[in-house]
Formats: sequence, C-alpha cells, structure tokens
Amino acid sequence: MAALEVKNSLLANPLATPEQLSISSSQLDGVPADLERSIIHAGQKLIQYAGILLRLPQEIITQAIVIFTRYWVGAEGGSLLDIHGAKDISAASLYLTTKGSLSPLSPRSILTVYAYLSTLPSLFLTPRNLPSAPDPSTYHLTEGDLQRRRLALFSAESKLLTTLGHHLHVALPHALALTYLQSLSVLTGFSPQGAAVAKRAFKHLNSCLFNPQSLYLTQQPSALATAAIYLAAKEVGVRLPECEWWEVFDVEREELGFLVVAMVSFKGWVEGERERWGERRVPLTREEIVVEMGRREGGVEEG
Amino acid sequence: MASNSRWADTEEDTAAEIHRKREKEERKRAKQLKAQQEQEAREAREAQAKATSSVSTDIDDRPAKRRRLSGESESNEVHDEQPRPLLRFTAPGWGPSRRIENFETLNHIEEGSYGWVSRAREMATGEIVALKKLKMGNPTEGFPVVALREIQILNQCRHKHIVALREVVVGSKPSDVYMVMEFLEHDLKSLMEDMREPFSPSETKSLLLQLSSAVSYLHSHWILHRDLKTSNILMNNLGQIRLADFGMARHTSNPPPKNLTQLVVTLWYRSPELLLGTTTYGTAVDIWSIGCVFAELLTRSPLLQGRNEADQLAKIFATLGIPTAANWPGFRRLPHAKSLALPSNPPPPPPLRSSFSLLTGAGAQLLERMLALNPDDRPEAEEVLQHRYFQEDPKPKSEKMFPTFPSKAGQERRRRVASPKAPRGREADAGAVGHVDFGGIFSASQDSEAGSGFNLKFR
Repeated sequence: MAALEVKNSLLANPLATPEQLSISSSQLDGVPADLERSIIHAGQKLIQYAGILLRLPQEIITQAIVIFTRYWVGAEGGSLLDIHGAKDISAASLYLTTKGSLSPLSPRSILTVYAYLSTLPSLFLTPRNLPSAPDPSTYHLTEGDLQRRRLALFSAESKLLTTLGHHLHVALPHALALTYLQSLSVLTGFSPQGAAVAKRAFKHLNSCLFNPQSLYLTQQPSALATAAIYLAAKEVGVRLPECEWWEVFDVEREELGFLVVAMVSFKGWVEGERERWGERRVPLTREEIVVEMGRREGGVEEG
Repeated sequence: MASNSRWADTEEDTAAEIHRKREKEERKRAKQLKAQQEQEAREAREAQAKATSSVSTDIDDRPAKRRRLSGESESNEVHDEQPRPLLRFTAPGWGPSRRIENFETLNHIEEGSYGWVSRAREMATGEIVALKKLKMGNPTEGFPVVALREIQILNQCRHKHIVALREVVVGSKPSDVYMVMEFLEHDLKSLMEDMREPFSPSETKSLLLQLSSAVSYLHSHWILHRDLKTSNILMNNLGQIRLADFGMARHTSNPPPKNLTQLVVTLWYRSPELLLGTTTYGTAVDIWSIGCVFAELLTRSPLLQGRNEADQLAKIFATLGIPTAANWPGFRRLPHAKSLALPSNPPPPPPLRSSFSLLTGAGAQLLERMLALNPDDRPEAEEVLQHRYFQEDPKPKSEKMFPTFPSKAGQERRRRVASPKAPRGREADAGAVGHVDFGGIFSASQDSEAGSGFNLKFR
C-alpha cells in the first residue's frame, strides 16, 4: 500500500493515534466517558452557534471545531477539569482560527456572543425554543468583565497552542466531495438531483463534526467525502456505478462501511442526548462538571 | 468490472450517457492505478535500499503493502485483476509542544523584526539549531497574528531553499514561545560586509537562481514573502541559501485581496507601488525586492538606500526614471501619487547597466525588468528562472564549489548592522510621503556615471 507522507496538505489531516484515542486526560481525572462526550458535543455546538451569529464562513467554523476536538484527545490532551474548561477552549478555538484567516474577529465580539449563548436555557436549539427577542442587559459585558474574560481567552489560547504543539492545520473534505461528484458525473449541468446529492453530502460532512466518534480525527478527508456521497446518493435515489468506485478515491470498503454506519447512527445519538439532558444545561466549566458528577454519585447511592 | 446490465436496463434512455460515464471512470481508475503502481515500485525500491542498510526496520512495513480487500469483492475480482493498491495519505500527528529545557543556548545571533534569534544545541542529539524567541507584542491580541502566520506558512513550506521549521517549543511562562529552526552559518548581508570582493558572476548567478526558485515556490503556493532582503537570506557552508523570516508573509489570491497593508518590506527593498500607498498588490512586490538583492550581490552595497519613504522614492526615480502615463499607466491613481510634484520633462536617467560594469547584456536586461516601475512589467519568479542570463557563460557555480567563510553567527556576537528595520504594524507612519518635490533629483546624477576603469575579475 502506497503511503504518501504530506505536511499541511489540502488532502490530509493529522490523525489521532490509537493511544490518543484509548484514554483522555479528562477520563484520567475521573470524568465518565459518556459525560465527556456530552460536554465536548456541547462545546462543539457553542462554536457552531457562535460562528453563525458572527456570520463566519462555515469553513472557519469547521476548522475551529476540529481544533477544539483535537485538544481533548489523549493523556497529554487537555482535561475538562482544568482551569480552562470546554467553554474557554471553545471560544479560544474560534478566536485562534479567525485570527489568521481573512475574517479576523476581536475578542470582544467573540466574548459577547459567548456571553449571549450562556443565557440560553439549553443548547438543544430548535427554532421554537429560541428566545424571540433577547434582552441585551442579560449578556452585556462591562469593561471590567471584558478585561477579565479577555485575559482568560488569551490564556486558553496559549494552552490550546501548547497542547497541540502549534499545529493548527485542518484539511476539509467539502471541496473534495464536489470534485468527486463531478468525476462521478453526478454534478453535470443543472441536474436538480445532482445538486440535491451535493447538499445532502455537505450536511453529512457538517454533522460529522459533532459525531461522538470524532470522525475528523480518525479519517482522512477523502474517506469522509466518499462516505458522505455514498450515503447522500442512496438517500436522494441517485444511482452510482456498481463497481467499487470508492477505490478510485483511495477508500477501502471497510472504511466506507464504518463511516456510513457512523453517519447514519448519529441522529439517534443526538436524540438520546436531547432526551437525557432535557431542559438542563450540559455542564461546561470545571465547577459545573464537579456539581454534575456529585449529582450522579448521589443518584447512584439513591438507586 | 463485472456485468452492469441491471444498471443499464433500468435507465434505457440514459444508457449512453452512463456508458460514457463508466468509460471515463475506467480511464480515471486506470490512470490512478498506473500512478499507484509507479508509486508502489518506487516504494519497493526504497524499501529494498533500506533493507540493504538496515535489515530490522522494514519488517513492519511489509504486511501493510500486501493488504487486500476482504470479503466478497476479493473473491469476485481477484481472478481477473491484481489487488488494487490504494494511496494512503499520512500526516504527522500532534502532541504537546516540547519544553525549551531540551535546548541549551550557545550564543545570541541577532534581533529580527519579530523575535530574538540565538544559536542553541539540542541536548539529546547534540544538533545545532537556531532558536527564535517570539516577541509577544500587543496585549490586546493574545498570540501575535504575525507569529501565527509565520508558523503556519513555514509548516506548509518544504523547499530546499526555504528555512525548515522543526518545531515550536515553550518555556515556563505562556509568553515564552520559541521557533526551532535549522541553523545556518551566515546571512548574505553580514557575509558580504566581510568579503573583500563581491561574489563572482557565476556565484551571483547561483545565488540568484536559488533565491528565485524559493520565491517561485512561494508564489506558486499563493504566498507573498513581503520582506525579502539580504539579511533574511541565510547561507550555509555548502553554498546553499535558505530564505528566512516569514514574519511579514501572508497568503494571497487571484485577484489579489483588497486592503492589504502597504507597510511591508524593509524600506530599501520596497517597491514603488508600495511607497505610493497601493492596497492591492501581488507577487511583483517580491520580484522588486529580488531585483534589489541582485544589484546588491553585484556591488556588495544596497542599490537604493533612502533615508525615509520620500527619499526612497526620490532614489528610485533618480536611478530608474520617472513614472509616466506611458511606462506605468494608472500610477497617478495610487493614494500618494497625487501629492507628487514630478518634473515635466526630465532627462532620462543614466542607463542602469552603466553602474554594473561587469554585468552582461542579458544580466542587465533581467535586472532592469525586475526593477520595472510598473509592477505589471516585472517578470514572474518562474520567468526569472528561465531567463537566458542563467544559460550564458559563465554558468551558475555549483553549490559545492562555493568557498567557505568564517561564520559570525556561529562564533561571536554579530555586529549591529545599520539597515532599516521592516515596518512594524500600526505604529509606523502610514502615508508619510506627503508633499514632496522631486524637481531636482537629477542634479547630482551626472557624477555617478564616471567611466568604469579596467577591472580584473575571476569568474
């Protein structure tokens, strides 16, 4: 099997090693694995929502979420019980990603949006449970608040950079997916079906960001793009060649199967999360997590 | 490629199209396969070479290469086709930054625009490296964006003539961040200060070729360096140069992004469009700087040593002529051009080649093109590499034949050089050109054209 070592290529991402995937710093600190998954999922959503409110391109939001997810992996990764918890690192990931980009943002913009998101009753948002007219006084930051939070943001940024060894490269599968669809002759002319497949594939690629199996940390962009196309074409009802066309894009059958299952099962997992947390907020800071862990232990004793 | 009749039957009217599609697919795969086989063959050769040198290391690569598709696809396909090798991309993973304590500082080298550089030894391996401690400037910014860009861009670049960033290490304070780079003995600026003679024509050619190939690599990867100058060009004792200091570099696009800062490039190497305040510019700003470096390699002293922005423009116009609507259409629309008072009927400046008596016609033509006032008239870096100046005799000197020099960076504290610094962020004086009268810039130019005497030179 030919292996091509590439650095900061548009085609390849650094992947988590098996050791990094086997244990995390948070688990070593005693955070249960399922709670850890819920918290990281909530932190990823904070980035997505903040990105939408700040009108950032999805490309930047995606990079920020991938960097955020990498931070928590492995024994040498960050712990949710550190001073800088999921919320700080989430804001720092977004700040750091925008900084070098063509749409830089001030710490004030990011911190204000995060303050607003903290006022929401739950992060399992639907258009129905979003407050229609938010009250600015609930999330306004005074100069003093801003000063303190800015220092915390910079400190979290520094922690993030050090933990990732200053490697921030993220290769995205979206453009690849379009190229693949073109080479499969699905995206020709103005075929509405082709457009529907592309849209659906992009939705799967974006959902993968929040997948508890950390797909962007374990699979290369070519595999993600291929699996998203496979699934999208099935769903829309567009026929693809019956031969092993995925091999053209350097994806093995097993890889494809694993990814498709992971993508299909994601919806059920999120619904389970929504049910589990209901109206409660997922804990995002060290203090909140400690309370939640205490609550669970209490629950175990009662039961 | 088993039967596909079921597929064709269902969509009779589109069968032709599908057939075409399939053929395309097959061609594509064939091509891919061929490339992979070649890759495979290369791999195999490498593995064999490795095996001869060290037998133990290659055992673990072997099974991976033989891996096949499992399940039904194997049983169906194996009869008529070879197992198909798939291309695997691997990228280095991530882990926490190492600590500065792994390195031992040997001596200070210099203070660059965005950090302090010193020579150090990695304790575990004994290797000599250059350590650049980043300056954490702005307290309202956090980690400096210029450092972020420099690290990302250097991580992206892999080129023989671009300095290699090995890793980023940290100290005990969050503000202690160091870039670990390969160490090179010289930079061209201090090297030339100590040379009794300028580089020979063949050495100059080799250096210019190396520099242009690095810049061509950057430009083809959509990167502008924006601070090319002799002190940012490092050289080792093998005659190889490496481009360094990417603190001003950034990505660009086609068409170029709007609202770029014009406060880039050290004054003496700054192009006229930047001095005239353009906010949309491209690769031509780097080519101008290469032109300035070229001239400096020939004479050992910078060609255009302005005292400030206005004086720099005056020196440019005195040496290369006045911009006109004919040689630079549209220059009048640049922000600072409105306040220029240019002589209406200037005498043409002495030809550039008269200052470079040793330069051949082809060399002078290349220099003049790189120093064209109009950025659109400057060649691309790729064109520079193809220029006939490099084909004619004397040929570029092989890197191996370069003389060696005593290294200042390696042995002693470097003398402070009186070269202006690269502009720094917002503190610099934007649009300082102001109202300037260039009426008299040619008054003194007559002396400079003194005839060049006889000059014996080794090639």
